[in-house]
Amino acid sequence: MKSRRDLLKLAGLAALAQTIPGCKKKEMPALESFTGEFDPLRSYPYRSWEDLYRKQWTWDKVVRSTHSANCTGSCSWKVYVRDGVMVREEQAADYPRINEDLPDYNPRGCQKGACFVEYVYGPQRLKSPLIRTGARGEGKWRKASWDEALTLIANKLLDNIYEYGPDTNTFFSVIPAMSPVSFCAGSRLAHYIGGVFCSFYDWYCDLPPGEPLTWGVQTESCECADWFNSKYIVLWGSNISQTRIPDAHFAYEARYNGAKLVAISPDFNSSCMHADLYLPIQPGTDAALALFAANYIIENKLYDEPYVQEQTDLPLLVERRTGRFLRPPGADDRFLWRDAKTGRVLEAPGTMGSKVQSIGLGGVQPDLHARFTHEGKEVVTVFELLRERLAKYTLEYAASVTGLPANDIRQFAHEMGTRKPAMIIHGAGLNHWFHNDLINRALILLVALTGNVGKNGGGFNHYVGQERIWPEHGFKTLAFPEGPKKQRFQNMTLWSYVHSSNQDRHLYNGKPIEHYIEASVKNGWMPLYPKKRDQKPRALIVWRANYLNQAKGNEHILESLWKDLDLIVDVNYRMDTTALHSDVVLPASSYYEKTDLNSTDCHSYIHPFSKVLDPLYDSKPDWDVFGALAKKISEVAAKRGLKPYLDAQFNWERDFTKTHDLWCAHGKLARDEEAANFILEHSPETKGMQYSQLASGPKRFVATDWEAWNSDIEQGVAYTPFKHQLVKKRPWRTLTGRQQFYIDHPWYLDFDEQLPAYKVPLEEDAKYPFFWNTPHGRWSIHSTWRDARYQLRLQRGVPIVYMHPDDAKEKGIEDNDWVKVFNNQGAFVSKVQILPGEKRKRLTMYHGWERYLGFLQGSWQSPTYIKIKPTQLVGGYGHVNFKLNYWGPTGNNRDLRVDVMKYTPTEADLRAMRWNGERKA
Amino acid sequence: MSRHQYSMVLDLNKCLGCQTCTMACKKMWTDGDGMDYMYWNNVETRPGQGYPRKWDEMGGGFDRGQLRPSEIPTKEDYGQTFEYNYEARMYGGAASAQPHQEVRNTPNWDEDVGALMLGENYYFYLPRICNHCTNPACLAACPRSAIYKREEDGIVLIDQERCEGYRHCIQACPYKKIYFNELLGKSQKCIFCYPRLEKGDVNACAKQCPGRIRFVGLLDDPHSTVHKLVKVHKVALGLFPEKGTDPNVFYVPPFNPPRTGNYGKSILEDPRLPLDYLIYLFGEEVVEVIRRLEAELKVAQSGGRSEVLQLLIGRDAGVRYQIAQREDLVQIQPARHA
Ligand code: SF4
Ligand code: SF4
Ligand code: SF4
Repeated sequence: MKSRRDLLKLAGLAALAQTIPGCKKKEMPALESFTGEFDPLRSYPYRSWEDLYRKQWTWDKVVRSTHSANCTGSCSWKVYVRDGVMVREEQAADYPRINEDLPDYNPRGCQKGACFVEYVYGPQRLKSPLIRTGARGEGKWRKASWDEALTLIANKLLDNIYEYGPDTNTFFSVIPAMSPVSFCAGSRLAHYIGGVFCSFYDWYCDLPPGEPLTWGVQTESCECADWFNSKYIVLWGSNISQTRIPDAHFAYEARYNGAKLVAISPDFNSSCMHADLYLPIQPGTDAALALFAANYIIENKLYDEPYVQEQTDLPLLVERRTGRFLRPPGADDRFLWRDAKTGRVLEAPGTMGSKVQSIGLGGVQPDLHARFTHEGKEVVTVFELLRERLAKYTLEYAASVTGLPANDIRQFAHEMGTRKPAMIIHGAGLNHWFHNDLINRALILLVALTGNVGKNGGGFNHYVGQERIWPEHGFKTLAFPEGPKKQRFQNMTLWSYVHSSNQDRHLYNGKPIEHYIEASVKNGWMPLYPKKRDQKPRALIVWRANYLNQAKGNEHILESLWKDLDLIVDVNYRMDTTALHSDVVLPASSYYEKTDLNSTDCHSYIHPFSKVLDPLYDSKPDWDVFGALAKKISEVAAKRGLKPYLDAQFNWERDFTKTHDLWCAHGKLARDEEAANFILEHSPETKGMQYSQLASGPKRFVATDWEAWNSDIEQGVAYTPFKHQLVKKRPWRTLTGRQQFYIDHPWYLDFDEQLPAYKVPLEEDAKYPFFWNTPHGRWSIHSTWRDARYQLRLQRGVPIVYMHPDDAKEKGIEDNDWVKVFNNQGAFVSKVQILPGEKRKRLTMYHGWERYLGFLQGSWQSPTYIKIKPTQLVGGYGHVNFKLNYWGPTGNNRDLRVDVMKYTPTEADLRAMRWNGERKA
Repeated sequence: MSRHQYSMVLDLNKCLGCQTCTMACKKMWTDGDGMDYMYWNNVETRPGQGYPRKWDEMGGGFDRGQLRPSEIPTKEDYGQTFEYNYEARMYGGAASAQPHQEVRNTPNWDEDVGALMLGENYYFYLPRICNHCTNPACLAACPRSAIYKREEDGIVLIDQERCEGYRHCIQACPYKKIYFNELLGKSQKCIFCYPRLEKGDVNACAKQCPGRIRFVGLLDDPHSTVHKLVKVHKVALGLFPEKGTDPNVFYVPPFNPPRTGNYGKSILEDPRLPLDYLIYLFGEEVVEVIRRLEAELKVAQSGGRSEVLQLLIGRDAGVRYQIAQREDLVQIQPARHA
């Protein structure tokens, strides 16, 4: 096959070269020696050569596709093909405009999308099935046929089912929105063989637990065009210039349209430079700032009283002694308040147990300030309890905790209360803290008090990961055809913690986390597979994900879970860290060789992946990979004469000779395009659309599913959530039917987290003085593009840790030195860059570096371990119940501390750096 | 003087530092042999070393009409172009994947570094392409007259057939935007994407810029946005005006937020980003431009409407780019003022 480089050579320039290689520098004649017969400033006689470059801008065909890396971008691209080779890509830049006032979405894309072709042909590309011959991770393989590789896997999966139970086969794939057909390929197989399907959004700590707690939703954000409608945008722990590259312009353009822009971040990052106000906050103290602002807003009566009365739980009554909501006798899910006009205690409408399914007040004026004795009980409103709690968050307190000047934060609080609409753009910067739920709730409180939630240009908008899939109903039906009740779902944080040697030594209210885990599992709040507690998981199948590289507690997982698994399969287009550490690798088609769909919460359009070229090498699209595996399972089951397996948990008689038949819906879903059409046809969002029509350009969703969404799609209006609640008075999806800031679950009361609070970051060993910060950056999407050469040449070529100059000086470290970063969990060795914008006593490395690239030891996840927050194990409380990727413990990692020292490479290191003597140009 | 002049305006207050422009140009034009190290479009963090390293201290341009002496940047100044041993690591059992040489400089070596003033960090991004100068020093320096300015649109090109690789142009360009292709023995540079413009499409670096910071059009076309920004609203300035080449790429100058504790004060009172540094880059006029922009921002943020900021929003491609039909290039009536 021709390489790209060959083609470019043919394209022209090289033809001009006389001798290659070698330097062809001419001696320089003296300037005066030339006297020309024309003036090139005015006209030039020899212009025919210009065709040289004109020819470079010619193509055989241009095909639309996109990327599936969980960037949240969902950008439509055109891939240019010349002589049968993909040569370059350019944004399609044809998203239709929402209305005349809003800037459009074009050109959506980033520098990574502009060079994905490198992976299509690069050395990382997986070209045929591989079976490991060396140790896991060593990189020694033999090529195998599809038949051999699939037979091996099918036999093993079936053995596990019959010998150890179907819940020893574990499946992991992330983010359906980025390529739902590819996701469903494997999830359907898991479904039909009874495998365990693991969560990702909570595990990667991208789920903002404050949203399920307060709003009863997974995550609901406005599409990014709505930023432009705002008059006050707070970038709170979100570096949009780096992590929202296709969307950041809306915020900077909103500023020109009258918005003020505030950036809150410990480091002076690439977004802070464009802000009107930059608040260099002390890491982990954001809730203190938010609660001060809430206090300021309440005490200065800047809150939106009618909004708070109708849309929040703040008027509900709580019994002071027990801390429990006041409920009508015998009711769990009905609540009371006092009408300020009549003084009567009434039942609030629209709660989970209420007969009235509307939160409209119907003339009642719920009293926010009530404190009285009711039937012998001292009762008080949530609002008053909140006021009491907020009293300590004074200006002085907030300034001292956050390290911010009083002048700046007082003005911030005032503007937060007065500029409308106001929105918070929230990201992983805050969400990865142990107390992420408290932080989320404190921030949501701010925008709820001020009546900003449910309005264009307002709200709390969280963007980390492309978690939300618009055509949800079609997707779910394709992914788990018999319904969620017949699928083993597992929170990945819990699974990874329990099945590895990760150990959290903190005590929570005096008890270890194991105590809470056992209680949660026993109460049926969180599932834990395998159900037999002495049984270890045996097989792990990973696709569209890089589990090992991205796992917190990397060292622990490698030394325990990874050794216990006896089959690890990776389906991938490139050799990432998980693939490298697998037993069998199956080559998938790249993003430019498959049929699939793509959507994101950042915009309201759907657009396709397409086969720019047919699958290259011996690769197959994910749909065909899992189709072939299903087929092989059925073949093997028939050949071995396996009797149907009675899956007692679901009372499901599983006949594996029929697995393929079920998987492809009796032939109706044999092809990926049929699967794509299935999703489109079964979702109100995409009603009337066919996959084949999407090639002409992104299409806006036509409606929203009432079950899945909280606003309608309106023509000419940017999408923002919760208009159903605000306009149609639809109850919120919470126990109280309102934005619920008070959680009276006993565990929340035990931890004094019934209301938002600021809690200091989890204390770590005082021996390690630096926070370990691993944010998302511009140069990769998680681990994708981390090893891409075009990208690396515009960085420093290897992983780097950032460090403040004064900290570096104290440690005797200079720019580009090797350093060792360590704590009692693990260590790694990388290069260092001195960064003046970094916070003191914090070290940062952008996340996602592949374990195999550039480190002399360990990797960026080596110092981390898995910590579970007890209150996130809760269930059985109204709207707070385990649901895959909606509610379950998050895999937080920001509270961690490390130390650093200069490192001198050993002889062995130097040998490794010399490519083991195999240096090639 | 060419009959018309294409020009680009870059609004630095919208730049993300994302390098999509860099990648767009690389994949479009400089992905061939001998071109690995060259980035006709690059984005550098300022203050900082730049690409090639310290280019702004190397001289070039004109001094009272005479070419000012300068040097040719070394290979190291441009940064290394390394390869990786992925095959060996992934399929051959090697211990780790590494670049084939220790990396000591790259075109973006000091990304996001900037500088400190009184303990506070400041920086911004400066994307750079060839300035397609009205008075190009490269052209004046070429002993073969192989560099010319297209009469119809002012684009400065190096004739790839007639160039002999003498590299006087590289010395003479004060912006160090000409690169030497050792394999071909030719000097090469940004061609302002003329093949695209000729077909009515905009430059790759502008078209692909997700920050939407770039505006392209004829500077002499009174209806073009670039004309309005540079000549009417006067909010965009050329880089190093004193170098005498009369650049046709203009920048809306950047301003970082005020220093911590100063919220509410004008950025001119106690700026985070020292004005001296901006004056160094854009000349004295920059202070006035920032004063003007800050006043406009204030109008917008107090509920008013600023015409120039509305223009800079650049709601769609139609606002940002005015690409001339080829016949228009002759017919456009140049604007009188300026
Ligand atoms: S990687 Fe993501 S953000 Fe970048 S262009 Fe592709 S889809 Fe867009
Ligand atoms: S105008 Fe074209 S050639 Fe010049 S820097 Fe931009 S993309 Fe490259
Ligand atoms: S593509 Fe645009 S926003 Fe990104 S660095 Fe280049 S000029 Fe700046």
